Amino acid sequence: MQRRADAMAERGTGRRPDHLTPVPTAPPDADELLRAVARGDEPAFARLYDLVAPRVYGLIRRMLKDPALAEEVAQEVLVEVWRTAARFDPASGSATAWVFTIAHRRAVDRVRAEQTAAARTMRAGAAAIDTPYDSVADEVSGRLERQQVRRCLDDLTELQRQSVTLAYYQGYSYPQVAELLGTPVATVKTRMRDGLIRLRDCLGAGVAA
Amino acid sequence: MIADIHALAGAYVLDAVDDLERAAFDRHLSECDACRGEVGELREAAVRLAGGTWSVPPPRLRDNVLDEIRKTRQLPPRAAKPVVAPAGRRRRLVAVAAAVVLAAAGAGTAAYQIQDQRVRDAQASAAATRAEQERVNSILASPDLTVRTQQLDGGGRVTIAYSRLRDAGVVSLIADAPPTGGRVFQLWTVHATKPVDEGVLAVGQTSVVKVIDHMPSASDVGVTAEPAGGSRVPTDPMLADLKIV
Repeated sequence: MQRRADAMAERGTGRRPDHLTPVPTAPPDADELLRAVARGDEPAFARLYDLVAPRVYGLIRRMLKDPALAEEVAQEVLVEVWRTAARFDPASGSATAWVFTIAHRRAVDRVRAEQTAAARTMRAGAAAIDTPYDSVADEVSGRLERQQVRRCLDDLTELQRQSVTLAYYQGYSYPQVAELLGTPVATVKTRMRDGLIRLRDCLGAGVAA
Repeated sequence: MIADIHALAGAYVLDAVDDLERAAFDRHLSECDACRGEVGELREAAVRLAGGTWSVPPPRLRDNVLDEIRKTRQLPPRAAKPVVAPAGRRRRLVAVAAAVVLAAAGAGTAAYQIQDQRVRDAQASAAATRAEQERVNSILASPDLTVRTQQLDGGGRVTIAYSRLRDAGVVSLIADAPPTGGRVFQLWTVHATKPVDEGVLAVGQTSVVKVIDHMPSASDVGVTAEPAGGSRVPTDPMLADLKIV
């Protein structure tokens, strides 16, 4: 906390009001940036990186636990975003969703590879570490997002919540989730779907970047 | 699996399915507008779960990624996808099998890229893999494609897809586990009763997608378990033996 306050002080007062506004005034639009990236625009890619990297890295790190491994996979994912940007189809969803679909799938692949090799070391304390981020505004919106997600997860039934989070954050397949929860496979499959539907309704037209 | 495939939408969005289910569901999506809409919406919800994992990456990641993209060639936009009209059950089965082969090819690429830590090597082989994948795609797109699938003894499946027009075929092997005793999978074709070596998998390798030239003039495509490095003639028993007619 102390460090964060100091960092803010160092930035000077001129920019503070902007940074303390919960919603950034002119947020770069991921869809727009990705379109530019598809045309080979490197500065646009750098801006897209700044917009999504903390979440990409955070998600992968949460799933893989190992920071060094997470860094490696995050790099693969972000380079893949550059490489395949022209293949993004806006009709299939937002640019952000596309990026996280790549990230999540890549992390799941890695989780499964390690499960197969029986080399996965389960480490306690999966929670991501709160590190001061360069932009206070980003951090504030990140925290708001986190609160809303948590609130909406609390809204689910226990089985829905477990099914969704074990799959999403731990990379388990639905048969594995069923075994962990001692629940029939068909039930878990259904709970994943209706859990996500409920989550969608709760999150509504929120602050998605 | 196909019958209640729609129930899989949640698991699909959460990446909680295996490669075959994903391929089948992708196929389903290409024929179902409503499902595409639902998957799109569920995906937006799932993505918000990532928003809760905010964690600052090490600053060097930014430098490394920006460095890497300057050396990475971008893919061109995808050509407009031909719309496949549902035309009877057989055609659809063929298409599903082709999708499975394609998905396996994709999985192979990802697995390779992940296993290899050295970026330059990975790029060189990724280029080779992409060229191979384009050949696979062109074979699978041929109008006279024949697809056969067989269970692999010991768990898993082997799919072949071949075209006489192209005088080539694609074999996809997805095993549940590597052969026991440190042995490896080896692929064979049989031409006029003579076995021809079509490639040996590495120790521990459980999946492969491979183009085989002249597959349509063979009588069989087979899989055996052999000592590491492979054998000159197949060792019985055949774990899978697909007839070409």
